[in-house]
Amino acid sequence: MSSTAFDFVLQTALLLGLAPLVSGCIKNWKAKLQNRRGPPVWQVYRDIGKFLRKDMVVSEHASWVFSYAPYVVFISALLAGLMVPMVSTQAPLSLFGGVLALVGLLALGRFFLALGGLDPASAFGGMGSSREMTIAAIAEPALMLAIFTVALAAGSTDLSHIVQATLGPAWSLLNPRHVLAFAALFIVLLAETGRIPVDNPATHLELTMIHEAMLLEYSGRYLALMEWGASIKQLVLMTLLVNVFFPIGLAADASPAALGLGLLSYLARLSLVAGVVVLVETANAKLRLFRVPDLLSAAFVLASLALFSTFLFQ
Amino acid sequence: MDQFSPILLNLGLLGYVLGALAGLVFFRRSRAANLGAFGCAAAAAACTGLACVHALLTGAATDAGSTRLVPTLVPYVQFTVCLDPLSCFFGLILSLVALALSIYSLGYARGYYGRKSVGVLGAFYNVLVLATTLVFLSDNAFFFLIAWEIMALSAYCLVSFEHEQNETRNAGVLFFVMSHIGTGCLILGFLLLFQASGGYGFAGFHALGDKMAASPRNAAFLLFLVGFGVKAGLVPLHIWLPAAHPVAPSNVSALLSGVLIKTGIYGLARVLFDFLGTPPNWWGVTVLGLGTLSAVLGVLYALMQHDLKRLLAYHSIENIGIILMGLGAALMFLHTGHPVLASLALVAGLYHTINHAVFKALLFLGAGAVVHAAHTRDMEEMGGLAKRMPHTALFFLIGAVAISALPPLNGFVSEWLVYQSLLQGFGTTSSLIRLMFPLSGAMLALTGALAAACFVKAFGITFLAQPRSTHAAQAREATPTMLLGQGLLAAACVFLGLFPTLFLKVLDPVTRQLAGPALSTQLSLANGLVLSGATPGGGSVSTLGLTAAAAGLLLVPFALWLVYARRTRVRLGPTWDCGLQGLTPRMEYTATGFSKPIRMIFKALFRPRREVQREYDFSPYFAKTLRFESHVEELFLTRLYRPLYGAVWQASRRMRALQAGSLQAYLIYIFVILLVLLLFAL
Amino acid sequence: MNPAISTDIAAQLIALLAVLMLVVQLLLVVQRMLLTSIRLFAVQSMFLAGIAAVVAFFHGAMHVYIVAGLTFIGKVMFLPWLLDRQVRRMRIGQEIEPLVNFPTSMLTCGGLTLLGYIVARPFTSLERLGNNTLAVAITLVLTGIFLMFNRRKAITQVLALLTVENGVMLAAVALTTYGMPLVVELGIFFDVLVAVMVLAILVYRIRESFDSMDVGKLTQLKG
Repeated sequence: MSSTAFDFVLQTALLLGLAPLVSGCIKNWKAKLQNRRGPPVWQVYRDIGKFLRKDMVVSEHASWVFSYAPYVVFISALLAGLMVPMVSTQAPLSLFGGVLALVGLLALGRFFLALGGLDPASAFGGMGSSREMTIAAIAEPALMLAIFTVALAAGSTDLSHIVQATLGPAWSLLNPRHVLAFAALFIVLLAETGRIPVDNPATHLELTMIHEAMLLEYSGRYLALMEWGASIKQLVLMTLLVNVFFPIGLAADASPAALGLGLLSYLARLSLVAGVVVLVETANAKLRLFRVPDLLSAAFVLASLALFSTFLFQ
Repeated sequence: MDQFSPILLNLGLLGYVLGALAGLVFFRRSRAANLGAFGCAAAAAACTGLACVHALLTGAATDAGSTRLVPTLVPYVQFTVCLDPLSCFFGLILSLVALALSIYSLGYARGYYGRKSVGVLGAFYNVLVLATTLVFLSDNAFFFLIAWEIMALSAYCLVSFEHEQNETRNAGVLFFVMSHIGTGCLILGFLLLFQASGGYGFAGFHALGDKMAASPRNAAFLLFLVGFGVKAGLVPLHIWLPAAHPVAPSNVSALLSGVLIKTGIYGLARVLFDFLGTPPNWWGVTVLGLGTLSAVLGVLYALMQHDLKRLLAYHSIENIGIILMGLGAALMFLHTGHPVLASLALVAGLYHTINHAVFKALLFLGAGAVVHAAHTRDMEEMGGLAKRMPHTALFFLIGAVAISALPPLNGFVSEWLVYQSLLQGFGTTSSLIRLMFPLSGAMLALTGALAAACFVKAFGITFLAQPRSTHAAQAREATPTMLLGQGLLAAACVFLGLFPTLFLKVLDPVTRQLAGPALSTQLSLANGLVLSGATPGGGSVSTLGLTAAAAGLLLVPFALWLVYARRTRVRLGPTWDCGLQGLTPRMEYTATGFSKPIRMIFKALFRPRREVQREYDFSPYFAKTLRFESHVEELFLTRLYRPLYGAVWQASRRMRALQAGSLQAYLIYIFVILLVLLLFAL
Repeated sequence: MNPAISTDIAAQLIALLAVLMLVVQLLLVVQRMLLTSIRLFAVQSMFLAGIAAVVAFFHGAMHVYIVAGLTFIGKVMFLPWLLDRQVRRMRIGQEIEPLVNFPTSMLTCGGLTLLGYIVARPFTSLERLGNNTLAVAITLVLTGIFLMFNRRKAITQVLALLTVENGVMLAAVALTTYGMPLVVELGIFFDVLVAVMVLAILVYRIRESFDSMDVGKLTQLKG
């Protein structure tokens, strides 16, 4: 029991600490790839620290929902992260919920994020909420189907079980089911974290923004929680990708050596995925809103292909 | 046999009768009628609820014999009720909702003082609850149908309660017609069963399907599916539901949407699992498919609504779909011989049934309070109510989170169970049909996400931002009894969400009766703190644990506040307005605008039309007036029912030639028929 | 290397490449840009060549190397270059206009894939080369035909025809150990090569005569 509590604290710390770094790295690498110097990788930490110390301005139209939303967003992202195995094959909260609860928690965060966007009576916020909920809705079937494919193969919705079932020789990870479901989930990742073909994370005050539009009225401590929550959510989804599909080198036991190796391998795979995100963001332009369903229907079909290609022959 | 439950039950039924009488006696005295009718109903609901819980928990339900209500000399007609597990479970749902509703109504009915007769409302309300109770409990097809018809009639009267409006009258008639089509199918179905068993008692129908020939059995299945499907609001038989539910008084809407459509579910569960024996595969496939279709279409149409109550009514169709997904999967598992999985799927469906009853009633009560305060059902004229009606807003938010299947509330738990049964169902067969399970799961995910979008809209546009009308700006919080009614249901949502393993014990006798093993011990891990997916290692969830962990994690923001933000101040300021002269409510996002992206994405389904007319003096950019109209097509109405209606109309016009109006002609008809019959007799 | 594992790896590689071909096919279905479509076709052909190479390597079938080489030269380099040059020379508008919108055609292709897999199901035991290959081949043919009637411009129809041919080749290569003779494969290959060149010229003529590549204009030829 105490080891679980220890895991809990450790993974919370890892999530909190690593999430801004990943966001910062993506920003920095992207700038490098575009021949800009870019912000240092630590910039996101500085931003969050700065936001925390600032006074807040809260809209006079906003109600109590506005003030509770940041906490829900932040906590639900953290909770979701605690269900994903990060460094070892065992996640601290795997008993309390598997991948279905993870999806549910992310949806809970999104629900309150969208309400927080609507509350200050600004047209931007409403626009952001409406688009966020729409995109999430059409991304959800692809997400679930991709998840089902791996869950069916493992016979469990518990992420620790899924990861353990996937562990095997490296070449066996390159089977069609895995690759297709990975591709589907990667597209969903881009949509859910507001990455470029779907949303532009670098934009402010444009009519194309989605995530930023909802945060427009947030400031100070609330903004810090919102931004941090968003980066944690991104980290959680990336971790889901790398650990469910390529769980190479995950620590099977709690010995320091295994954990250290697991951490190294995890970081390496994570930066690989982050690198791919950077490449996609640099090579593509943002899609028009009504082209996003094309992309997500492609993700859905990829996920169904993953399903067909595996299970029709068993 | 333990006499506790039957006595309580009789007390309860008596209470409803008294309530109805009180309503009629104090016809002209609103206050007395209100107290008498709804007070009696609340007490009666408490009695019947206790009776059902007691019967379920003590196991009395399993061996309960029939209790005779009224002795009768007519053959076949026996007015008997039976407290068997399935009946008790649905009786429990009804009583729970009716209790909260009756308390709420004490405050809500005040809105009718001086305008309408509260006595009539109360009387019909009591009759409706009584009839619904008898539908759930009756033990005899004849009695069942009588109760069914009384239920439909009193529901019709309540739907048409505000009959001054055209819309209400039309909705009432539509409800009546559809309801009768359903009843017709039910009568035929029961006749088929009667043919096979030779009696009308439900006990004689038990597992009758195994003794029937295939074709009458399949015919019975289809007839019952249509008959109960109409009542449940199954797509494509749903068209009456979004018309009738919104126009009724809100307490009645809550009863209609929360419980009354569940009589369809009850009927299907009773017939499919109790009467018709081991199902062929296509039954389950049909039910699962129709359930999926209902879920997706229900929520898509719900998104297009900006009438708050209509939106909720469409969500009932969605949730009925989810329930039927559970039941359909259970049927398929029974076919393949997996009783444990069948139990799991059945538990998922039935758990969603009670969950939906609770949160839908809660949402309708909230909507009632809002409509009462804002004097309109149109969300485009609401807004900002969270500040003026904070408690109602909180309760509505709880309902919204629950119906959107978000953790940690009850909607999430039952959808989790549905997902689990679909996932595990995949292994039960190797035929292609099993692809249906993950694909319906994906559709369920779509449904859940769209429902979340819809309730962001419903809650956000109604309660958040600036008020969009003067009524909304002057809205006042609902009366204490109204809040108490909502609070009860909100508490039920939280309880059913956080302690599912406790509640699942109630379902044990039901699964034992209908599918196979009792599952509550198998479904609970770690002393009932964790809900498991029936197979070891198959996955588990603990909403309670998540809540506790969330409470622990709150330390993080608290610590951050302590370290960094203790000295910061909070300032109120205007929302940023792009440098204009302040924001007005007209600049806010509207409900129609909110759902526009979805309308565009699914435009093949909605076929949206819009008309914009502008009048301007010198340039179209500076319009003086602007009229905007937007329509969404209800595909089933325009493509299925209107042509059908036209065809029936045409046929009846042709038939009119027969109605010549001359006596001789009619006599000739009679004579010809007589001759034909005689010839047949030869 | 242990032979059992090597067969396993071969099967896995082939299945993976076959599925990647399928993914490229789906990308072709949703691709709007003409030039990108051509490049996608090249990528798909490259995967085909890869499958042929894997088959040749693991089964020691030398003649399949020839198929791989020809595929690479013909379909990865020559044909894309030809089509690319033609598109640039004719200055065709870049956007492809499909008849059915993208999500719908995507879902249709999903359905066709399901069909392909169902059709291929009885032959599972026949194949030793990863059970996906035949299904993918059938799906490529089906979606290729779907692509052909879902496109308006003649040159995109040529592309679609080429993907159909890729499907046929895939089936041929995948079943190659059962003795599809090299001659037949070569026959198919050159047949299509010639067909495409003829079509390319034809497209050019259509464009000259009608000042458009919309095959809908061909209805005007009716007397």
